[in-house]
Amino acid sequence: MTAAILTLFPEVTDVNGDAQNALVLARRAEWAGEDAVVVPAPLWAVPDVQPAAIVLGSSVDSALPRIRDGLLALLPRLTAWLDAGVPLLAIGTGMELLGSRIDLGNGSVVEGIGLLPGSASPLAVRVTDDLVVDAAEGRLIGYENHARGFRLDAGVPALGRVVTGVGDGRGVDGVRHGSMIGTRLHGPVLAKNPAFADALLARVFGRPVVPVSDQAKAADAAAAAIRARLLKGLPSR
Amino acid sequence: MPLRWVPAVAIGRAVRIAARLRKPGGGSAVPGLVVNRLAPGFLGSVLFSFPEGLAVVSGSAGKSTTTKMLVAVLEAHGKRVFTNPSTANISQGLTSALLERARLTGRIDADVAVLEMDEGHGALLSDRFRSRVVLLTNVMTDQIDRFHDSEKVLGMLRRIAATATERLVLNGDDGLLARIRSDVPVRRFGVTDGVLAASPRGLGYAETVRPPEADGAVVTAVAGASAAVLLDGRQHQVRLPARGVHYAVDAAGALTAAEEMLGDAFDAETAVAAISAMPAVFGRGEVVTVRGVQVEFVLVQNPASFQLNVDELEEGLDQVLVAMGSDVRDPSYFWPVDASRIGRALVVTGSKAEEIALQLIYQGVQVVRIEPDLPAAIDHFLSLPAPARGVKTIVFTADAMRRTRAHLGLTS
Repeated sequence: MTAAILTLFPEVTDVNGDAQNALVLARRAEWAGEDAVVVPAPLWAVPDVQPAAIVLGSSVDSALPRIRDGLLALLPRLTAWLDAGVPLLAIGTGMELLGSRIDLGNGSVVEGIGLLPGSASPLAVRVTDDLVVDAAEGRLIGYENHARGFRLDAGVPALGRVVTGVGDGRGVDGVRHGSMIGTRLHGPVLAKNPAFADALLARVFGRPVVPVSDQAKAADAAAAAIRARLLKGLPSR
Repeated sequence: MPLRWVPAVAIGRAVRIAARLRKPGGGSAVPGLVVNRLAPGFLGSVLFSFPEGLAVVSGSAGKSTTTKMLVAVLEAHGKRVFTNPSTANISQGLTSALLERARLTGRIDADVAVLEMDEGHGALLSDRFRSRVVLLTNVMTDQIDRFHDSEKVLGMLRRIAATATERLVLNGDDGLLARIRSDVPVRRFGVTDGVLAASPRGLGYAETVRPPEADGAVVTAVAGASAAVLLDGRQHQVRLPARGVHYAVDAAGALTAAEEMLGDAFDAETAVAAISAMPAVFGRGEVVTVRGVQVEFVLVQNPASFQLNVDELEEGLDQVLVAMGSDVRDPSYFWPVDASRIGRALVVTGSKAEEIALQLIYQGVQVVRIEPDLPAAIDHFLSLPAPARGVKTIVFTADAMRRTRAHLGLTS
C-alpha cells in the first residue's frame, strides 16, 4: 500500500520550506524501495486519505488564526490519526498552534488547539541563526528563525538539548508527545538530518527503512558535508 | 541658499578620493555615510531639486529592470536623467551616487531623476523626500531573513507610496499592493487573463488578483523575448531584454510610469522603441562569450525569480552549473521552488553548494558533481566539451555572480 505523507496547509506553512519535509520522507521511502506519495492538504480542502505521516510547517503570524481554525475543523480526524500512532512533525508556529496558546507579545493571544501540553511566549530577542540539538535520533542540525519559546508543562519531554542556538529558550528545543514531534529547526530539517528522517520512516512502515539508491548516497553525502561544516569546533556529545 | 551644501559636498568628495586611494574601485558608500552624518538634509534637498521631478521604483522583484527601462524611455524623449546604479540603493550609496554628479551647490545637472529603492531602505528614507511618481512592482515572498514576512514588506512599500505627490503606479495583479490606499490617483499595469493562464505557476506574487480595471499598460501576449502590450487602446510589439513574462510586466510598468512622468510629451512609439533597443539585462539570461565558449548567465535573487527563471530555461539542457553564494545565509526558503526542470546539474558550487545540491537531489535533479570552490568549478565547467543542446548555462545568486564575473575578468 502506498504511504500517504500528508502536508498540512502547504500554501501557508511553507514559508521556510518546512512543508518540503513531506517530500523528503516520500523520496527517502522510494529510495529504500517503499511506496510513498506526498499528499498536500490545503486549508478547508483536506483530502479524504489515511495518512502514514503528517507534516505541519511554520507560517507568518498573521496567518495563525486561519490555520488554527483549519486545525480545529480537522480536530476529530487529527485526534483519530494521532491515537492510531501516526507520526506528526510540527515545525515552528505549527508546533505552537498544537499547544494551548500563543502569546504574541503585543497584548494579543492566539488560542491553540491543545493537543500539545505547552504554550508559546515571546523570547527577549528574535533568533536567526544555526541551531544544533542533541536528540534521541542523534545530533540534529539546522537553522532557526523565530521570536518565541515553547514552554512545556511539567514532565513533558523536549525533543532534545540545545548545543548551539536558542531553541525554545531554556536549554532545550521542541517537544515529544505521543506520536508528535515539535521543533524550531526549520526548513528541510529531515533532509539535513537523514537519520531523523529514517527514524520517522521506520515508525511509518513498522520496519527499518534504509535508502540505498545513488540519489540517497548523493543526498546523504551533501547532508554530511553540511553537518561537518556546522559542527566543526563543537564538542562531541 | 545655493551655498548651503558646499561644505558637505566638498567633504564628501574628499572622502571619496581618500577611499579610492585606499581601495581602488571600492569605498563607494563611505562618502555618503560621511555626508549623511554631516548634513542629514542633503539627500532630500538634492532629490527635490530636479526640475521635472523624481520617480521612485520599488517592490520585491523587477526594480532594477523597470528602472533601466524607465530611464531608457525618458532619455529617448530627450530628457537628461539622473539614476542610481542598482547596487547603490541604500541611503549611503545613493548619497554617494548623488555626490558623484552634484555640483558644489548640491544641484545635479539633470531634468529628472529615476531611483531604484530597496523596500527597507526606501521606507527608512521616505520622510526625507517627495516624488512625483512612485512605481511598485510586486510583493514576493522573498528575503525572509531580512523582513520575516511579506506583510512587513507591504508596510514598507506603503511608506514609499506615501511619498508620491502626483501618481501611484501599481502592478494591478498583485493582491498585496491592491491593499495600499493612496491620497493620489492610482494607475495600474498588468497582464491579461490569457497571459496569466499561460504562466503555469502564476507570476510569483505573494498574492495574485484579477484587477477590476488596468488603466495602464497591459501585457496581452508573450512569446520568448517578445511581448504585445496594450497602451491607450493601441497594441505595441516590445522586444524584451530577455525572455520571460516578468520582463514584459516590467516593461508595462515602465511604460505606464513614463507616460505619467512625461504627460503630453509621451510618445508610445518612441517609448516602445527605446525599451526594444535595450541590451540584454546583465546577469539574467545574458549570453556572453568567455574563453571562446558561449555561456548564458541566469541570476536568481529570491525564490520567485528562481522559480520564474527555472521555468524559462530550455528543457533538457545538458550543461547547467548552479552556484549559491554566501549572500544566502539560510537557503531553506528556496525549497518551495520546484527546480526539477533543471533536470541535470553538471556542477553545483558556491559556499552553499551542498545546501542547494540537497534541494536539487530531493527534487529529482541529477547532481553530477559538487565543488564548493567556485573558481575551480567554473574552470571545470567551461573546459567541458560543447553541450549537445542549448548553451552552457550558469544559474547563480548575486554573490556567486559577482565572484564568477571577477574570476572570469568580466567587468560589470
